[in-house]
Amino acid sequence: MSTVIGNNKPKSNNKLIGTSLVIGGVVIAAMMIFGILMLLAQGGVISVSDAMFYQFLTIHGTGMIGAAALAAAGVMWYFLSRYVNLSRKVFIWFLALVLIGVVMVVVGVFSFKFASAWTFLYPLPAISASAWGTIGALLYLIGMLILGTGFLLLYIDTGRAIIKTYGSLGKGLGWDVISGKKRLEDAPPKVVVASTMVTIVNTSALIAGATVLIMNIINVINPSFTFDPLLAKNLTYAFGHIFANAIIYMAVIVVYELLPKYANRKWAVTKLFLVAWTMSTVFTLLIYTHHMLMDFAMPKWMLIMGQALSYANGLPVLVVTAYGALQVVHKSGIKWDMASGLAFLSMFGWTVGVVPAIVDATIVVNHVMHNTKWVPGHFHMYMGLGAVVMLFSFMYYLAKIDSNVKESKLDKIAFWCYALAIFSVSAQFLVSGALSTPRRWAIHYPGWMTPAVFGAIAGVFLVIATSIFIIHFVRYMKNRGTLGSDMNEQETA
Amino acid sequence: MKKPLIIGSSILLILLIPPIRVYMESIMIIHMLVQLPLLIIAGWFLGDYMISKIPKVFILSNDNGVPGIILFVAITMFWMLPRTLDEALTFPMYELFKFVSLPISGILLVDSWGKINDLGRIFIYLNYLSMFALMGWLYLDSPIQICNNYLVDQQKVLGWGFIFITAIMVLYVVQYVFTDQSELEET
Repeated sequence: MSTVIGNNKPKSNNKLIGTSLVIGGVVIAAMMIFGILMLLAQGGVISVSDAMFYQFLTIHGTGMIGAAALAAAGVMWYFLSRYVNLSRKVFIWFLALVLIGVVMVVVGVFSFKFASAWTFLYPLPAISASAWGTIGALLYLIGMLILGTGFLLLYIDTGRAIIKTYGSLGKGLGWDVISGKKRLEDAPPKVVVASTMVTIVNTSALIAGATVLIMNIINVINPSFTFDPLLAKNLTYAFGHIFANAIIYMAVIVVYELLPKYANRKWAVTKLFLVAWTMSTVFTLLIYTHHMLMDFAMPKWMLIMGQALSYANGLPVLVVTAYGALQVVHKSGIKWDMASGLAFLSMFGWTVGVVPAIVDATIVVNHVMHNTKWVPGHFHMYMGLGAVVMLFSFMYYLAKIDSNVKESKLDKIAFWCYALAIFSVSAQFLVSGALSTPRRWAIHYPGWMTPAVFGAIAGVFLVIATSIFIIHFVRYMKNRGTLGSDMNEQETA
Repeated sequence: MKKPLIIGSSILLILLIPPIRVYMESIMIIHMLVQLPLLIIAGWFLGDYMISKIPKVFILSNDNGVPGIILFVAITMFWMLPRTLDEALTFPMYELFKFVSLPISGILLVDSWGKINDLGRIFIYLNYLSMFALMGWLYLDSPIQICNNYLVDQQKVLGWGFIFITAIMVLYVVQYVFTDQSELEET
């Protein structure tokens, strides 16, 4: 089953995939600038009005997750299309809908001052104390709905294609191998397993998201229609947490594909690997409840489940992936370059970034830490040093195998600059959290300001390094197809 | 050959009989979740007959199924709004429109469903899944009486009806994606 049966000309899709990565990369860099501005404002270095700060917060959160998900979906599509027949037309629709959604969100935030943060937590979109009006809220909410529709189309297509090739999503996760009905040699490739998992969790998340978005839209249009706020919060986080979480599960495919090629070793699918991905599929759907640990009205069993499964979800896929990556690389004589280096760095980021989350998922800790900057400390490390680094790794990989654009010393400097800068940004958030600095506050007491200023300075280096990565990829896009490489077609999974 | 015509016309005629019509419309859940779907089903059978009789009309007007399915979604969404349900009981023209538009949506559905591809079908299905969940939530949770013609208790019963349908739809999706479709296709 692991034979390459999908798209016979992967290189012909590189322009399409490249476009999603360029848009994703540029938006990520732009969102970093908003992050710096927020930290400078919190540090008392610049003056930003409160209303403007929350607009920055809204666009930063929404833009970062949206852009990373867009680029990660491109990575997943690139590799998955080698094993199943995906529709190019659907990917183009996906890109178009995401762009329309992004434009609506940007206009809603900056032209109509919508500033509820990405959480659009009911009933805030409708009750803004005149900070924004109906149009701004509708532009943002409908924009998110269109963006989500684009992603839903993409996952319907991946699900359809996986079912057509492998028979069912259960078989895509390798359940027939786990149950012993099929030999391990016939197990689906890692790309297919990861893509199946993402298809399941993100389709569920997007349906939950569509429901709560339309509910918010109804409430904004006619505030006399009210809903249960706790159910709305559950659906919002069932959408937001799962969707954000799934980015790393899409992006990690590049690690699975790339490291074995570089190390010239096989990274075989094992039963443990399949079990781990099935466990993560279930856990990822359920652990959003760790966002509800402060909601006293939640059923107790859900809160306990949130803690227990958050502990459990931190382990299966991460352990098999990180351990597998170490095994593949150890004493392999691997040739390090930007792509392999970034892939390996992302393993470190993922592993380290999970730790503060597991700490925060502990109910007694959560009551103290969840509303502090400890949580941004977790997700900046997890996403910035994990998922996003995987995306940059793929950019260098694609540039290497499909063009004659060479890596320079500047790229290597950018590598270390990025690693140190994102680590510093994350660390200042964690330190701020330890100092009990509240998150999502436009104004800080003097005692909270120093880490924010430090983070802003680190952020400047982060933008410089990210720009160098993106410029390299844009150069690739201009010189695409100037080099044929066996690596492009080589199968290792 | 005339079987679909007979079935479709019979359903439509039965639904038009005044005591049956009035009874169905007196209970909110039966109005929304029995009468309206039956009108669509009547249209489905009539459409089946019409397609075999005048295929060219359908080829010319709904070649790939997309225009038809968009109209179907628009009509059904319109009739899912609480206000339209209310207006149908208050204004005879609305009632007439209901008895015309929903069978037409059924005709459009039977013609379009076979023409749109798998992706389109799944998208429409998931669209209705989230829409039914939302409608269930709306009717269950609304603290106010949404329709003039129905009490809050009736709204809540309808809300549970929508939630029940959503649960069935979720179960269907789960069984579909986790059972082996390749073996089914081969047989």
